[in-house]
Amino acid sequence: MIEIRGVTKTFTGREGSEVHALKDVNLTVGDNEFLTVLGPSGCGKTTLLRAIAGLIDWDEGDIVVDGEPVRRPGPDRAMVFQNFALLPWATVLDNVAFGLELRGESRAARHAKARELIELIGLGGFESRLPGELSGGMQQRVGLARALAVEPNVLLMDEPFGALDEQTRRILQEELLSIWERRRLTVVFITHSMEEAVLLGDRVVLMSPRPGRIAEIVPIGIPRPRSADVGGLEQSPEFTAITSRLWQSLRTMHPDHRTAARAAAAQEVTG
Amino acid sequence: MTASGVSAATRRPATSLLRKAVHGTLLYQLLTFAVFATAWEVYGRYWGGILLPPFSDTAVATVELLGEAELWKALWLSNQALVLGFLASVVLGVPAGLLLGRFRTVERYTDIYLSILLVTPMAAVIPLLVMSVGFGLLSRVILVTLFSVVMVIVNARAGIRQIDASLIEMSRTYGASEAQIWRRILIPGALPAIMTGVRLALGRAVTGMVIVELLMVSVGFGGLILEYRALFEAPKLYATIVIILAEALALIAAARWVERKATPWAAPRNSSRSTRD
Ligand SMILES: Nc1ncnc2c1ncn2[C@@H]1O[C@H](COP(=O)(O)OP(=O)(O)OP(=O)(O)O)[C@@H](O)[C@H]1O
Ligand SMILES: [Mg+2]
Repeated sequence: MIEIRGVTKTFTGREGSEVHALKDVNLTVGDNEFLTVLGPSGCGKTTLLRAIAGLIDWDEGDIVVDGEPVRRPGPDRAMVFQNFALLPWATVLDNVAFGLELRGESRAARHAKARELIELIGLGGFESRLPGELSGGMQQRVGLARALAVEPNVLLMDEPFGALDEQTRRILQEELLSIWERRRLTVVFITHSMEEAVLLGDRVVLMSPRPGRIAEIVPIGIPRPRSADVGGLEQSPEFTAITSRLWQSLRTMHPDHRTAARAAAAQEVTG
Repeated sequence: MTASGVSAATRRPATSLLRKAVHGTLLYQLLTFAVFATAWEVYGRYWGGILLPPFSDTAVATVELLGEAELWKALWLSNQALVLGFLASVVLGVPAGLLLGRFRTVERYTDIYLSILLVTPMAAVIPLLVMSVGFGLLSRVILVTLFSVVMVIVNARAGIRQIDASLIEMSRTYGASEAQIWRRILIPGALPAIMTGVRLALGRAVTGMVIVELLMVSVGFGGLILEYRALFEAPKLYATIVIILAEALALIAAARWVERKATPWAAPRNSSRSTRD
């Protein structure tokens, strides 16, 4: 379980200007919950994720994972990156084993574990390839396997499929769902795509920008398992109902939205 | 998965294209060399006079010179300074460049010295060097190092700088210590640039070696050049230069080979560069 209580984070820009990346964020993520986070660019999604990962300090509030206050990165949390963050000089096998290696596991043990995960994510036969020889989708499979290899309780994913083409993204969504359905773990998944948020999540957290805070939390009632027919699901009336509801909330937040722009201008004058 | 077939198929044409490009360059290089040699021959025959022997005379003199003990003695002597000075610049330059790349504050204080090292005409340093260290091997070694170390530093620094910050962040999420980040991310990540710097430094080291011998300590290759000039033995003078060039090219080719072997993941970058320069 992840408990986020009153977390506030302000960045100071180069010219001393302040950016309120997170303002009084309260959120509880249940065990084995798949939580998706949606919001316009710059609303603090990545900041929130990096705080949970223990990569950055915040100004106020607490983040507690399974009863332990977060201070720094820990073995209970693993991250998957939008740009994959693979070591270009290391083989698929060594990339997947990287987290285990940093933890000091023996070569034999970590390679055995890594091979298992490479099979799981469907990259069997590619163990000795370099990342540069793989497609984007395959690279992100490696990124996912590396994170799963350290057996985290919490998987933090920052737009992991954002750099992939539509079809590849579909396939990886199905794959992620089927992995998550089999080995339950807590996932916090950031995305720019409403469809992806609804498709994957138990709940969708909507964040609004300046200051970054939680605007709304929308439960997704679509029954699981969903991995079998992702395409069909997207045609279902439930799905479209939820996405159009999300869109109503999102459009008012969008910087190009008229009333939003007017509200922001008014705030500027009064505040 | 079907991906194995796809990627194997895309790999093959890529390598054969590369091979074609390499053969293309080789042919091109041979052609330009033929043109160059012919022009030299013609110019040397008709207008060269005593100072520019024709290409063929130089070629003959080169072969003759290779049979003389004098050349091999000069080669041995010059290369002592080259090897020692070049090694010193790698040993000093790589760590210096890595530190400058990683720690911005260090860089802020030392940037000016690096700039000085970059722009100073090294020939101007020679008299100073000889005055303080003398005419021995040491002053030649120091000059070779001064000539080549900048290349190593600047490239190692650039190598650290261009490392994807998300790799460092990624390793921190797995609990990497600063030492582990150095060993597993920074050094391998900077290696291609380091190797490039080493290769460029090798060329500069050869230049430094010859210049110090020409200007101040007339031994080795530089000594030979001066001697042949004094005796008006133009073919041998050019032959000496040809041999120096041949050594430099061989060393750089060897460095490029090591570079490719040591950093196979950077292969596309290396090959595109080698066709360009
Ligand atoms: N290290 C930093 N220094 C200064 N400002 C920062 C820093 N990191 C983030 N910010 C600012 O904080 C705000 C939130 O950034 P964050 O990266 O969390 O947004 P995001 O929701 O992930 O956006 P995107 O959808 O574009 O990824 C932005 O305005 C950003 O400019
Ligand atoms: Mg982000």
